Amino acid sequence: MVTQTEKQTRTVKLPRTSKPFWNSRTQDILLPILGTLGFLIVWQLFSASGLTRLPGPLSLWTDTRTRQLLMYPFYDLGGLDKGLFWQTLASLGRVAQGYSMAAVVGISVGILVGSNHLLNKAFDPLFQFLRMVAPLAWVPIALVALQQNQPAAIFVIFITAVWPILINTAEGVRQIPTDFQNVAKVLQLSRKDYYINILFPAALPYIFTGLRIAIGLAWLAIIAAEIVMSGIVGIGFFIWDAYQQNYISEIILAVIYIGAVGLLLDRGIAYIQRLILPKA
Amino acid sequence: MNDLVANDLVAVEQVDKAFTLANGGEYIALAGINLTIKQGEFVSLIGHSGCGKSTLLDMIAGFSQPTAGLVSMEGKQVTEPGPNRMVVFQNYSLLPWMTVRQNIELAVKKVMIELSPVEQQQIVEHHIDLVGLRHAADKPPEQLSGGMKQRVAIARALAIRPKLLLLDEPFGALDALTRGNLQEQLMKICEENQVTAVMVTHDVDEALLLSDRVVMLTNGPSSNIGQILEVDLPRPRRRMEIVNHPNYYSYRSEIIYFLNQQKRIKQLRARKQSAIARHGLEKVNLEIGYVPLTACAPLVIAKEKGLFAHHGLDEVNLVRETSWRGIQDGIAGGHLDAAQMPSGMPVWMTVGGMDNKPLPVVSALTLTRNGNAITLDKQFNDQGIFVLEDLKKFLLETPEKQHTFGVVHPASMHNLLLRYWLASAGINPNQDTTISTLPPAQMLANLQAGNIDGYCVGEPWNTWAAMEGIGYTIATDLEIWNGHPGKVLGVREDWSLAYPNTHVALVKALLEACRYCMDGNNRDEIREILSRADYLGADVEYIHLGDPDANTCDLQPSPAAYAHHQFFGSGVNRPSRTEHLWLMTQMARWGDIPFPRNWVEILERVCKVSLFSLAARELGMPEITYSRGPIQLFDGVTFTADDPITYLNNLEIKHDIYMAEIPLTAPVARAA
Repeated sequence: MVTQTEKQTRTVKLPRTSKPFWNSRTQDILLPILGTLGFLIVWQLFSASGLTRLPGPLSLWTDTRTRQLLMYPFYDLGGLDKGLFWQTLASLGRVAQGYSMAAVVGISVGILVGSNHLLNKAFDPLFQFLRMVAPLAWVPIALVALQQNQPAAIFVIFITAVWPILINTAEGVRQIPTDFQNVAKVLQLSRKDYYINILFPAALPYIFTGLRIAIGLAWLAIIAAEIVMSGIVGIGFFIWDAYQQNYISEIILAVIYIGAVGLLLDRGIAYIQRLILPKA
Repeated sequence: MNDLVANDLVAVEQVDKAFTLANGGEYIALAGINLTIKQGEFVSLIGHSGCGKSTLLDMIAGFSQPTAGLVSMEGKQVTEPGPNRMVVFQNYSLLPWMTVRQNIELAVKKVMIELSPVEQQQIVEHHIDLVGLRHAADKPPEQLSGGMKQRVAIARALAIRPKLLLLDEPFGALDALTRGNLQEQLMKICEENQVTAVMVTHDVDEALLLSDRVVMLTNGPSSNIGQILEVDLPRPRRRMEIVNHPNYYSYRSEIIYFLNQQKRIKQLRARKQSAIARHGLEKVNLEIGYVPLTACAPLVIAKEKGLFAHHGLDEVNLVRETSWRGIQDGIAGGHLDAAQMPSGMPVWMTVGGMDNKPLPVVSALTLTRNGNAITLDKQFNDQGIFVLEDLKKFLLETPEKQHTFGVVHPASMHNLLLRYWLASAGINPNQDTTISTLPPAQMLANLQAGNIDGYCVGEPWNTWAAMEGIGYTIATDLEIWNGHPGKVLGVREDWSLAYPNTHVALVKALLEACRYCMDGNNRDEIREILSRADYLGADVEYIHLGDPDANTCDLQPSPAAYAHHQFFGSGVNRPSRTEHLWLMTQMARWGDIPFPRNWVEILERVCKVSLFSLAARELGMPEITYSRGPIQLFDGVTFTADDPITYLNNLEIKHDIYMAEIPLTAPVARAA
């Protein structure tokens, strides 16, 4: 039996390497396309049947306003009337600010809490509690506290993204193998040398896990935050505005943008993670 | 601290280590450890897992502090880890985000701060070359094999020039080939750089190859140092050559014996219960030690035929030991209640033959007589050596060759008979031959391998050698001392006093077993029982109670008669003071023990005739209490119990005789 299967795999493997890329990956490429197409067709038929007011996917093209937005993402007529690229960029800018703050605060507080078990005991319940508060619940608090839309939006991003980073970093520090700590003890490394040479590199995989979870959450949070904050450029408010004016197919287009950007952000962090931590 | 010698680097003094358990209890890992490590010395710590050897290493490293006692290095107390006590960890502990070079660099740059960057770099590069990792210097550890990783760890440790190198099972996770190569590399580096090192290991050969001293730890809880072996093998050592050194195997068997003994003690401890009193006996649960020989028949029969139980000893467990040393340690350590002993052992232990610590042991029963013989390598037969005179001529003609004979214990009749026999022909056994101690079961293999030229041992090993054509019997005890005591029953004196009724019951049960063994009708049954894997584990062909078939004696000239065992009979079982005195004189004659000035007291304490007589009377065997008279040996010398000192003085061939008063503690009952 065993020899037979070995033979089979060998005969399949050999021509595989010589075949072009698309031949060898037919299933990987074809099946997702078929699945997506099927979903879109069902959706289109469902809309056409008149059971719902939701327009079908073809409306992205058939609706004139939406077609304009689709074709010209870079237009800028001033005020809130901007192409989807600019809308998205504005949202991304907020995410970048809030997320960077979250990363800096989350990693440093995480290291502090992770390496001091008294601090950990003192604050862990609080962190676990705050972590469970939904991004949207922070919006009114942020607006009251900061008075303005822009900083409030950034704060919501920050407060959403900081917990996974902080908690994962702290866990990473706690999980540093005793072996590495023993090396540091034997060499009598200074605190600074210990942080640079041992603690930070050892906790890095955990930190990246936190960063990757946080980027997804941050992107989720910005949409929610912008929907509530009227009168700003940003893809979240764009959706809300379109809804108010009953441009449903525009919402669908914006949702596609949001999904694509979220996916890109996640993959981007994963890519950086691979660059820095080849093993992870 | 006063006795701290100048070249002692590390001192571990009266160290205890206890751990608090989750349930609030305390686990005492180490108790009363004393150890000094000299400058330039390589010391191995060996023991079973859980014996606390890594805990001890951790305390020397400074990772943990002793609960009591002091660890000091160069006179200063060790309170924290430091680079002068660098550790090579079992799992390498290389930082995975750094290359080989960076790992070594980190240590060098952070520890040797007084050096210039250039000098630091030189040291790093030198040590990369030292362990032969130039080609992998820029690779991260995950791309290295286990052996290469350990080399990096060793290079990192050596690069910072520690005063003491600590190795925690450094090669444990490596395959045999890599391990061997690394051991040699490490040894070379240590020898060239005069490194002082402490290594934890569980590999006996590794310990012997590398160490100057091997420290053996007893099993936990409360482990301590059981024994320290000085490994006096010449350096530089090579792995393949060292095994051929004449002392290598005795070192090796010393450690293995220790480790096996620890394992046995652990098992016995696990089984050990407090004394169960029943049927008017103080203790019915007995652990009785024996060595698998034809002579163990009475013990085996008493167990198998229910004679122990018949006398109320319901829970007797026979403990098989491979060597008499196991018996000796088991009795001394209190793991065994009683044991079959070579006839000289009670006196030998009582006068302090064991580590110079007198331990009163009593004997109330002689289990067997005869059953021993002297076997020589078949080559001697081919050269026409048939009688003692031939052997003497041969030994005198070949003084350049070291002739080695095997015996089973310094206190065994075999040793004393062989020496007596050789000396009677004018051969000084201490000068003209080497007599080494081997477990009975290893005699044949050693004879076949040419490690020994002959041996004196109990059956079945003489018959076996003859039947296999490996050796031949040149003399049996019938020709040296017909009816000499072979094995006796021995118990500690304090045990006998604590459990007097049990002791009588034990003697009675064994006496009945002896009678059963002597009955010719039972021979085949006994042979079959003895041959079982639980006991001798030998083919029934080799085990004989009566005269064996002719085929054992086809080597000519065959001995006068087969030395079959006497288990029972008039004067066979009664312990004899004269015999014990003869044994005492012989052991003193060859320098094993000093001759005690208080020999009369010692004989009184060892030889429990009254207990035997009581047992015999109660069994209704008055006929066997007959007392033997003076001893007649083959050379015509008569030995009486009147004047042993004159006897010793009149001997021609002997070791220097030392006389000493042996202080014995007053007899006190103590539960074993």
